[in-house]
Amino acid sequence: MDSNIDDTQHSPAGSYQQRATSSGTLPNEFVGLSITNSQHLQLHHQAFADDYLQPPLPPPPPPPPAMGDNSGVIAFDITEKFRIAAQTLEPGELVKDGHFTLFESVGALEIMDPKMDSGFLAPGESLDEDYDVTRPLLPREVIGIIDRLLSLEMAWHLGHPLSQTLLTNVYIERMLNPEPMSLEEADFIRDRGAEKDPMHQVLRAYCLGLVKTCWFVNERIKQEHYHEEEDFVTNTYTRSLLEDIDADEIRDEIMEARKVVYNLRHRITDEVSWALGFRLELRSAFLRVIELSDLRSDPDSLSLPWSQMKSVWEAIEKSRHLGTPVPEAFSTKIQRRLASTMPPRPIVELSPDETYKHFKKLIADGIAVLDVLKYEDTQSLLNFVVTFQAQKPQPMVYIRTLLQSFLFKDMVILGRLSIRHILDADLCLIALPSARLLDRTNDLVEAPHHPHYAIAHQMELFRQRAAQSYLDIFRVFCQNRCRIRRTLFHSIHDWDAVHADALDIDSLLQHQLEEPHITYEKSGPLWNKPLSSWAYFYKLRIMEWCVQFGFELEIYAPDELPKMYYYLYWLTRTRVKLIEHFRIFVNSRYADYTAGIPNCLTVNTNVTENEFIRSRAYLNQAHFEAAATSDMAESLTLIYKALMKEKLIDSSPPQPYGNDALRFQFRMRGFARCDIPGLPEWEEYLSLDGPRYTSATMLEHAKHLLIETRRWLEGMCELSPDKSFTFNCHERWKEGVENILRSLIAMDELCGRLLELIELRGAGGLEGVVKVEIGKPKDWHHEFWAVPTLVELKGVEGGGKK
Amino acid sequence: MAETPPSSTSHPGNLKYIRYDHSLETKYLPAIRALISKDLSEPYSIYVYRYFLYQWGHLCFLALHPTTEDLIGVIICKLEPHISHSPPTLRGYIAMLAVSSGYRGHGIATTLVKMGIEAMTQRNADEVVLETEETNIPAMRLYERLGFLRSKKLHRYYLNGSSAYRLVLLLKNAEGEEDRDFDAEGMALDEDEIS
Repeated sequence: MDSNIDDTQHSPAGSYQQRATSSGTLPNEFVGLSITNSQHLQLHHQAFADDYLQPPLPPPPPPPPAMGDNSGVIAFDITEKFRIAAQTLEPGELVKDGHFTLFESVGALEIMDPKMDSGFLAPGESLDEDYDVTRPLLPREVIGIIDRLLSLEMAWHLGHPLSQTLLTNVYIERMLNPEPMSLEEADFIRDRGAEKDPMHQVLRAYCLGLVKTCWFVNERIKQEHYHEEEDFVTNTYTRSLLEDIDADEIRDEIMEARKVVYNLRHRITDEVSWALGFRLELRSAFLRVIELSDLRSDPDSLSLPWSQMKSVWEAIEKSRHLGTPVPEAFSTKIQRRLASTMPPRPIVELSPDETYKHFKKLIADGIAVLDVLKYEDTQSLLNFVVTFQAQKPQPMVYIRTLLQSFLFKDMVILGRLSIRHILDADLCLIALPSARLLDRTNDLVEAPHHPHYAIAHQMELFRQRAAQSYLDIFRVFCQNRCRIRRTLFHSIHDWDAVHADALDIDSLLQHQLEEPHITYEKSGPLWNKPLSSWAYFYKLRIMEWCVQFGFELEIYAPDELPKMYYYLYWLTRTRVKLIEHFRIFVNSRYADYTAGIPNCLTVNTNVTENEFIRSRAYLNQAHFEAAATSDMAESLTLIYKALMKEKLIDSSPPQPYGNDALRFQFRMRGFARCDIPGLPEWEEYLSLDGPRYTSATMLEHAKHLLIETRRWLEGMCELSPDKSFTFNCHERWKEGVENILRSLIAMDELCGRLLELIELRGAGGLEGVVKVEIGKPKDWHHEFWAVPTLVELKGVEGGGKK
Repeated sequence: MAETPPSSTSHPGNLKYIRYDHSLETKYLPAIRALISKDLSEPYSIYVYRYFLYQWGHLCFLALHPTTEDLIGVIICKLEPHISHSPPTLRGYIAMLAVSSGYRGHGIATTLVKMGIEAMTQRNADEVVLETEETNIPAMRLYERLGFLRSKKLHRYYLNGSSAYRLVLLLKNAEGEEDRDFDAEGMALDEDEIS
């Protein structure tokens, strides 16, 4: 490259032009400056920066900026005025307007600081890499380059920017810059003659496939919900990733290159020929995967290219040793030519083993995610999404956005279902099997005074009100774990509003149906209120998730754990009661139906029997799950309380600022805005370890609570996908239940050993005898259950663990 | 002045703790920068330091060696209405905290944080917030011992890809107020989230 480096080893080309590009988002006016001790001006608005950088002699005034047709703007040269004004400032004095925030100040750059100034060159350093892309390549070098590219591609998938990954490769940079307008131009050697070096042809085909795949992946991610720079960096630094080059043409190039490799097999050995062939095949399969994903058709046919990738990937792994690294074909200097304000940052190095592991996981998740398309029922769908995203490690952002596109693309759920279909199916399952409210014939009634007309109208209003909040649950679970928790806190308030509106719609519908109340022995007259109860059901479930994700993400301090488990117990107990409410009404209508008694809410069709059966099965299952959580949460609350009573966990660590009440208020404020369910009576929580309870009585009660729960969980593990509402995700779900069961067993053993020790020690207490370790989520059997472990400090008699 | 004090495992005796003042810029700003940027892969420009020190110098405290007056520790804070959501609160923010490695483990950071909190409390702060890397156990322990709670986890918050926790110390009753802490989503940028 021509070197226009000046004496200060500072290259204007690499620095200011780029920043001017990226400063386009800042207001086009002077926003801030600071004066250094040497009175050297440092401007932090790049449009002005060029003029003031080279003291001591003032440069000639810049030409007036080209105004084009923007007449009416008159340019003044304020350089001299500015210098005079600046001299009146003390060093360190700050000039800024009121809108200049911390964010802008962090974006400021310091010229001549190698970590901030992208044009800064160390003595003797050249601006650009000087790698010759036309040099002949050995087949093993091509393997080496490709394997490094695979590692960089994976680093990009994992969230590192292109500038530090694939765009550090000289071949890719030359292929993309200047932007190729045709397939022929898309080559790192432009204007090469008809004669192509075969190894160049192979590498070019590989790069074409790679870059085009990256374009598709980037577009997919941008179309869905993700968090820029947190989950992924979609920035391409104005490099076009072969957007306008046809994928089919690229696949043809890859096919051609495979033929070339095959024909060379005698010269380059079979082994090397295969190794190159597999790498090309991976590119072609990945392109095919992407092409088919848009169809959302039959999952079995979609899985073919993924399966192909899977077997090819294993073959690539086995031939890794054949590659010869070509480190000089990768350079951080390319970053100086990208539209970025950053000085070159290091290439992200992923080890071959990490690359292998992550690609394997990407492919496995790519195959597994297709099963979501085999829709059976709404609760299986929810279980699919929740268990899929709960995997450790969580699926990569590309897979998560693929799942979102399967679910929501074009507002068609899973490529074939309407939002109404999904919403009605869920209402039917939880609250309204065979119900008049969901009867599609209501839509056909045209007489405005007919009750069915009014029902159709009210139900439509309800759907409009609830659909977004309902679909958001699925969308939220496609985010990273931290965002799921934070976004679910917002969902609480969405559902609170849906709940309130649904109460109004329920009373209108009840009037239209003339639905009577049910007199229930325990609680007097009960009104059905199916829509608001359904909304309440999800609101509670979301609140439970918010608490549970707090455990998983280690949000709570040890002394908060019993409170949060108590709150979880209280929420799930409330939901158990709500499920009981659904069961009363569904069972009552089902009894009418089997006895042939007409019911104002029930519509008899050929699916009525089945809908009742499915609903009753779901409510049964939901009851067990909620009750199991409730009992375990209460039990763990008591265990923590006992540990605090025994002074094994500090119940109120000294904290000089704020106070417990404020801390608790802060912790609950994401929940406290809901009128329903409100907050628990904390007297009850506090009374749990009141004077009349000993540690032993609390632990005995905690142990007792687990007896029945254990039977439920053991029974749950035996359920079929049909009974557990886990179609297409049964194995993942079952593994989760088994882990919860392991947590329960650990709690039971902990209670047992503590009781033994308490008895052995008598009045001596447990302090200094045992130590409690809460550990990290990865140490727990299940990330929602922070079951502590005991470390026995000195030999204590008894049959327990040492 | 620019280099940090030499490593020393012995306690340096009674450190001098002083409040920063603009007149100390020449004497201490280079040392402050050096101390803070030591562990940063992406250093802040001098403008960032001045952004804080010029506006909230009274919320910056220095720990100095008793005899040499070398800089040993520093805390830099800001305090302003948090207006992204209504009603606004007066939110204190601990932007930077650093103690020279040879002097750690003597409670110097705790003393500096306490001075920062007390200065902000005197100026009527409703709350104090900060972010810390999830792997920085000593920092989290320090803040949690003082009464901070973790409010949320921030996925891949730092440039190096590691996650952070937002820690909050509530100083006043915020009863009836809109929940602010969970409202950062969907916004282009909560300015606290980038520092």
